[in-house]
Amino acid sequence: MSAPVPRRLIIGVGNAGVTVLDLLAVGNPSMKGLMVVNNDSESLAASVVTDRIAVPEGDPGEGFVAIDGEFGGAVAGAATVVLCGGLGGETGSFLLPALAILAKSAGITVAACVGMPFSFEGRGKKEAATAALEKLYTVCDAVAVIENDRLSGGTPSTAAVGEAFELSDKTILASLLAIHRMLSTSGPVKITRSDLKHVLGVPGPITLFGSGSAEGSNRLHEALERSLRSPLLNAPGKTTPGSALAGASPVLLLLEGPPDLSFAEVQAAVGEIERIGGERCQIKTGVHADRPSGSPITISVVASSGGERPSDKPVAPRIAAAEVRPERQSAPLDEETAPTATPQTPKKTPQAPKTIPTIPQAKLDSAPPTSTTPRKTTGKQTQGTLDLDTQQRGRFDKSEPTIVAGEDLDIPTFMRKGIKLTPPQRS
Amino acid sequence: MPSEQIFVGLEIGTTKICVIVAESRADDQISILGVGETPSRGIRKGEIVDMATVTECVREAIVDAEEKTNVEIGNVWVAITGAHLRSFNNRGTHTLPAPRQIEQADLNMVQTNAKEIALPPPNIFLHTILQAYHLDGNRNVIDPLESEGMQLEADFHIVHGIKTRITNHLRCVEALNLEIEDVVLSSLASAQVVVTQHQKDIGVLVVDIGGGTTDYLIYHDGAVRHSGVLALGGDHITNDISVGLKLPIARAEMLKIQEGSATPPENSEGGVITLKNDPGFLGCDIDRRSLDTIIHCRVREIFELLRRDIENAGSDLLGLLGAGVMITGGCAKLRGIAGLASELLDQTVQVSTARNVGGALQTFENPQYSTAIGLTKYARLITKDTRPEGMLERIAQGFGGIFKRRSR
Repeated sequence: MSAPVPRRLIIGVGNAGVTVLDLLAVGNPSMKGLMVVNNDSESLAASVVTDRIAVPEGDPGEGFVAIDGEFGGAVAGAATVVLCGGLGGETGSFLLPALAILAKSAGITVAACVGMPFSFEGRGKKEAATAALEKLYTVCDAVAVIENDRLSGGTPSTAAVGEAFELSDKTILASLLAIHRMLSTSGPVKITRSDLKHVLGVPGPITLFGSGSAEGSNRLHEALERSLRSPLLNAPGKTTPGSALAGASPVLLLLEGPPDLSFAEVQAAVGEIERIGGERCQIKTGVHADRPSGSPITISVVASSGGERPSDKPVAPRIAAAEVRPERQSAPLDEETAPTATPQTPKKTPQAPKTIPTIPQAKLDSAPPTSTTPRKTTGKQTQGTLDLDTQQRGRFDKSEPTIVAGEDLDIPTFMRKGIKLTPPQRS
Repeated sequence: MPSEQIFVGLEIGTTKICVIVAESRADDQISILGVGETPSRGIRKGEIVDMATVTECVREAIVDAEEKTNVEIGNVWVAITGAHLRSFNNRGTHTLPAPRQIEQADLNMVQTNAKEIALPPPNIFLHTILQAYHLDGNRNVIDPLESEGMQLEADFHIVHGIKTRITNHLRCVEALNLEIEDVVLSSLASAQVVVTQHQKDIGVLVVDIGGGTTDYLIYHDGAVRHSGVLALGGDHITNDISVGLKLPIARAEMLKIQEGSATPPENSEGGVITLKNDPGFLGCDIDRRSLDTIIHCRVREIFELLRRDIENAGSDLLGLLGAGVMITGGCAKLRGIAGLASELLDQTVQVSTARNVGGALQTFENPQYSTAIGLTKYARLITKDTRPEGMLERIAQGFGGIFKRRSR
């Protein structure tokens, strides 16, 4: 390849990944380092992303082997790769972990933003997605999981199926951008990669994510409110914005905006998250004030709840790609420099035939994962149902919430206390 | 009548915009000449969200007051509230090179030193209220001027808020070519007329529950010890009723005013309240116990938050309230509110309206006018100094010395 490989790559995999990357490319026409990988030629042909890798249709394992070299060459020399796509389908479930392993073996820091299938897509997809997610966790430094069923809390029940998928794509995109920026080493205040790994690098917890943008005189509060209103930040059974953050620690808070993004605004955002998260909440803040003047500010909140942190309990050794391909070491998470290796296709072991036998633990040598192995669960990992009544705040629906100790005081007190009333009798 | 004897208080509230025109009488009392009033639009929780609409509402209220009093209004005293307002106590110290008589410049210096504290960047000082002077270890000196000493100290209660929100409040007024004499914390204004000097001395908590906010202020030893604003008020009660009983906001507001009670639901008289058909509204029967439950829950929460805020301020402030609690503001008229407050704050509680005020009787007997009336009393107390320049210009100059006159 003659053109230098961008240090940070975003790669959309499968149809969902292509859709998300198209959204990204249309919204950010000057953005470099975008690539799509898919075995659906129509989807690839229609994509606005110019760097494409076409996977031969048919068996995903064979397809992967066919593009192994091309993909390795495309990512070689990059510092970070963020993969995105949907899990559950054949392409995403197989290719996402496989490409992650390949990138990781080239010494690249790898993160993934993936969408889990809706319940209505069937149990088979769910199981395939769960198995693929387990593999991703074994390879990636950070995995943001967008649970589509939890998103439906923010979608009116009358929403068309297409709208539900659109919301899912947009949320994956927002998480993708947030993680991409968190992996960036620029900016006066940074979130380190170890912070990201601490929050998103361990299997088990539910990913909490919200993002919002606003401009104007009250941009900070509006952006913060929008980010906190993400259904992925709601605790099961609660509709208070950001309620799931109560007790979550650490919380990653990323603020992006124009150069006039002030310290006071950063301080106000941190204060608000602290108020919601509680006294023990640790906030890791990243600030990127490099957008053009007049641009809106964007606030992204990432955390996880449930599960166990590495600091809580030793985590079983993860599959290290470097063990498989010892000629290249994985980049340290806090390392700010790109891997020093020259851009070249990662070496394949002579035994590597049509599958991926070099990573036996990942068991990627079989066809698309359909494992029924239950995902490691902990007590708190319940996926609560969300109250779909969005009219609870009444006249305060569009005003800045009054949040005290994680409670939105604009929601009627009797509702928050669960008191039943006698409904009025129409005469 | 000389113009300096007329004071105009303007309260831009969440529910209403109120203009009180009052005159200062020879016996040091305030006499109300008339009230201009208009329902508020474009204000939520005490803060402006639609500048043009609020400006128009202020204009209507001013015109109303002018027509009722035959006074041409040119200068106003403006009350301000909002959850962005914060307060703290701080001590300023000024050490002289050698013992000598204390001068006014020394008093100014000790106040300046008390404000040498880093506020959050968007915030500015609103009030620097003197609590007590100390001279060479002699505590609580009432007036150290001309006393000889070397180390002058003074305690101040400092109120600050977000500059842009305060400025927006003022722009709505200055857009009408009205000159703003001063900006006053709502609870400080209310306290001027709802409590006596004796109550300030033995300790009193003033709670002004308005439409959008609940403002409170604690006096002890004649000085302000603590103040705060909760972004909760009567609008929340109305909204709760509207959501809980599925009523339009206007109906819910009427129900709150006519039938509302903060008494515990177990003491509810029960029965049903029949709302009649109106154009666009299908009548219904409301369970009174449900209505009482909704209101009680919200009012209880407001007082629980109030108590927590005061306890968090330290110094066992609730233990200093020899005169108990005075509730004022529009929500003070809610039945049973004093009893509930008394239970939750462990204090004697009274609903209070403006005192020592003459003129339009019905006006000062209504607690919802306490803030606007208090503004005129506040104005009379401190208006001896020369008129300051325009408020916006002073804000642009960083509030240097603006509120020095307020320290008494």
